[in-house]
Amino acid sequence: MPGLNEQLERLEAIVRRLESEDLSLDDALKLFEEGVERLRTAREQLAQTELKVRKVLELEGSDQ
Amino acid sequence: MGPPQPLDLFAAASAEGAWTVGEVTRRARAVVEAGLPPLWVRGEIANFKAWRSGHWYFSLRDTTAQLRCVMFAKQNFRLPAPSDGMQVFVFARPSLYEEKGEFQLTVMELLSTEQGGLWKLAFEKAKAALTKDGLLDPARKRRMPAFPRRIAVVTSPDGAALRDIQAVVARRWPLAELVVVPAQVQGAKAEQSVCSALHRIRRLPVDVLIVGRGGGSIEDLWAFNSEKVARAVAAMPMPVISAVGHETDVTLCDLVADLRAATPSAAAAAATPDRAEVLAHCGVVGQRLARALRTASRHAVERLDRTGDRLARCMESRLEQTRARLTAHSAHLEALSPLRVLARGYAVARDADGHVVKRVAQLPAGTEFRLRVTDGEVHARVE
Repeated sequence: MPGLNEQLERLEAIVRRLESEDLSLDDALKLFEEGVERLRTAREQLAQTELKVRKVLELEGSDQ
Repeated sequence: MGPPQPLDLFAAASAEGAWTVGEVTRRARAVVEAGLPPLWVRGEIANFKAWRSGHWYFSLRDTTAQLRCVMFAKQNFRLPAPSDGMQVFVFARPSLYEEKGEFQLTVMELLSTEQGGLWKLAFEKAKAALTKDGLLDPARKRRMPAFPRRIAVVTSPDGAALRDIQAVVARRWPLAELVVVPAQVQGAKAEQSVCSALHRIRRLPVDVLIVGRGGGSIEDLWAFNSEKVARAVAAMPMPVISAVGHETDVTLCDLVADLRAATPSAAAAAATPDRAEVLAHCGVVGQRLARALRTASRHAVERLDRTGDRLARCMESRLEQTRARLTAHSAHLEALSPLRVLARGYAVARDADGHVVKRVAQLPAGTEFRLRVTDGEVHARVE
C-alpha cells in the first residue's frame, strides 16, 4: 500500500490545486475524485487500532 | 549459643541444630576480619552519600566489581567530600555489616588521585574519538519519519521500558508494527548484546529505532557509554532515539542518537504522530476538498454564464451592424436609381426588344417604341 505520508502529501497538493487554479470543471472533477479516493484509503489505514508487536528472537534473522 | 560444628549437616537439618541468621553473620564477619587485614584499595567512587550524622556511604568500583564502603564522621571530618566518578585510594578494614548482612569496607583514610576516575576518563576519551570522527556533529541528526510503519525497539524484553513504549505506541499510532529486539541492557554482556541487536536491525525494514532502558544508576547504564555501542548507533541507517532514562548523566548513546528522550514513554511519543490528530487532519482535508470542488464548479457555471452573455451581446451587435449597413446601402441605391432621374422629367425610350434607344438612327419613321416616365410606361410611334 502507498505510504500514508505520500497519500497525505498528494492530498495536500490536490486541495491546493483545486483551491488556487482556474481549472476546467472536468479537471476539477478528476482531481476531486482522486482526492476522495486517497482520503478514503488514508482513513482506512488510520482505522487500524490494534498494535502489532513482533519479537525478533536471538537466532531468527542472525543469518539472513 | 556458640557456633556448632560447621559441617554437621544432620545437626543443621534439624530444627534444634539450625543456625540463626545472627549466628551466620557473626561467623562470617569473624571469617572476613580474620582473613582480610586492613589494606589499601584502589577504585572509583560511586553513589556517594553524606548523611546528617556526618558519616559517608559510597561504593568503590572498577570495571568488574563494586564494594560498599562506610567512612565514619570521626575519620572524614577534615576531608572535602569526594564526588562520584573520582578515582581514589582508601585504607580500609574489610568487614561484614551484620544488620544488613553486607560485606563492606570501613574506610579509615581516603586519597583521591587524578581528576576524574576511570569511568570518566574512558567516557571523555571515547567522546573525543567520536567527535573526531564527526559522529557528534549536530548536522548528522536526522528527522523522525512523519508516519512510521515499523518501529524497532532494542531493550530488555521484560522491563518497564518496553511496556511503556508499547502502551504509548498502541495509544498514539497503532498503525505501526512494533519490532522488539530483546537485548541485555545491563551487566557484563550488555555491550555485546546491544551491539548484536543493533546489527540485526540494520537489515530490517524499519523507519525508526528506540534504544533504551528505564533508568538505573549510572553504572547500570554503562553499556550505553560504550564507544562500541555508540558507533553502532551512529551507523544505523534509520533515525535513532536514545531513551536511556537518566536525568543527570548524558551517555554516549544519547550523544550520537538523532534524538534524546528523557524516558521510554517520551521516546515512543517522539517516534509517533497522534492518530487522532491525523484523523482530524483528514477531516479538514476532506472539507477543503469539497469546498474547493464547489468553488470550482461555481466558477465553471459563472464562466458559462459569462460566455453566454458575451455570445448574446456579440450576436446583437453583429445584427445591429448589418442593419446599419443595409440602410446605408439602400440610401446609396436610391441615390443611383434611374427613377430619380425620371422624376426630374427625363424619359427612357426602349425598342421592342427592350434596348434603350440612344440615337436617331435607331428610330426610323413608323418605329414603335415604349417610353418610360416616372410614373409608368406609354407606347409611342415615330411620325
